[in-house]
Amino acid sequence: MRRQDPAALARARFSEIVPHLLDDAYSLAKWLCHDASDAEDVVQEAALKALKALETVSVDRPKSWFLTIVRNSAVTWMTRNRSKRLAYAGGMDDLDALGAGDLEAPPNPEQALIALEDTERLRQAIADLPPPLMEILVMRDVNGLSYREIADATGAPIGTVMSRLSRARVQLARRLKAEP
Amino acid sequence: MTDVQTRLLRINAALDGELSAMDQAAFDRELGEDPALAREFARLSAVREATRRAAPRERAPSGLADRIAALGKAPGATVVPLSEAAARRPERTPSSTGRAAMGLAASFAALGFALGVGLTALRTGDATREADAPIVSDFARAAIAGQPYDVASSDRHTVKPWLAVRTTVSADIVDLAAQGYPLAGGRVTVVDRVPAPTLVYRHNEHFVALTELPSSLARTAGDGAVESVDGYHVARWLEGGLGFIAVTDADEAALAKFVSAFRTARKGVGE
Repeated sequence: MRRQDPAALARARFSEIVPHLLDDAYSLAKWLCHDASDAEDVVQEAALKALKALETVSVDRPKSWFLTIVRNSAVTWMTRNRSKRLAYAGGMDDLDALGAGDLEAPPNPEQALIALEDTERLRQAIADLPPPLMEILVMRDVNGLSYREIADATGAPIGTVMSRLSRARVQLARRLKAEP
Repeated sequence: MTDVQTRLLRINAALDGELSAMDQAAFDRELGEDPALAREFARLSAVREATRRAAPRERAPSGLADRIAALGKAPGATVVPLSEAAARRPERTPSSTGRAAMGLAASFAALGFALGVGLTALRTGDATREADAPIVSDFARAAIAGQPYDVASSDRHTVKPWLAVRTTVSADIVDLAAQGYPLAGGRVTVVDRVPAPTLVYRHNEHFVALTELPSSLARTAGDGAVESVDGYHVARWLEGGLGFIAVTDADEAALAKFVSAFRTARKGVGE
């Protein structure tokens, strides 16, 4: 058999890595694209890129490696097909800065906790986060990537990852607090 | 960065298990001493837990999972420029005969056109190289996918009935283990929409795939001489109204020896 065939090698590596990460990949893509069928396209595109890449690279940390490809595919996809979704008011500086008010405790902590029980509202609140915040929140809390892995995946410095994640959580807490 | 910001990042890092052991120990101590910090930690912890509940990891749709799994097997997704037919061929799953049969049924439809075109040459007589192409591609595909057979068995009493229910040719399976070609298994090769039995023999680390074509398709000329097609060695011959095509990644001499051994042994079986 042709053991040195790079395509065959890539397929062997691919089969070892990608199928196990599919749920993670799909979940990430679905959040980033806001759409289940777009998510399928993005994951499939990412898988093809991964297969191609595996001809020449072997991967030490497959999860963050593949999710990085998924994330980048989703960003490309959204830019190309759904550019309006990506537009959001306010610059990055605004996103990355944390206001002093962020640390204020809610007037009624019980109420805030009850609001968190409303899964639909919380999902909507996550979906409404600005994309740079949302992607980091999803990679952390859905995919379980470390700060370092998220920094590698998004190309943002680790300090930025930390502040965006913090910002995302604070926004969720506020949004649920503010709504009846 | 302000103290407030630093404080908030620290709470999040503690939540996410991103603090070093020393920092975590210090943080835990402060939590006990600073009620405001404890409140904020509880609030963000609640947000984090709620996020995880509201946004669980979702299961990928099974159709997507199947397509992704197929990428790891079928050459269709990458460049295996052997022939149109091989590129179009859906992958079979040898682990389960039931699924293999379903995959085969699907491959009939997908291959119909490609092979129909490819094998027109076989019907018209001379252009035997073109006629071989789909079978050589089939060999290449199976070899590259690491699945040279759909039923893996060195026992011809297992392989023969498996092939018999799937093909119209009753394959004569001869035992060539003594000659250095133990039976490895069998698979079905679809030629011009007709499923034909392919016997797979092992020879050291190589395989020899022998396809038996029914008389309706057995118009390939050949006398068992070894040729090279797409980097593989191929031999074809007619016998008893059946066409035989042997393809291998082993060397020329190994195939010539195989052909000779097979033909001799088959005569013995037929008599």
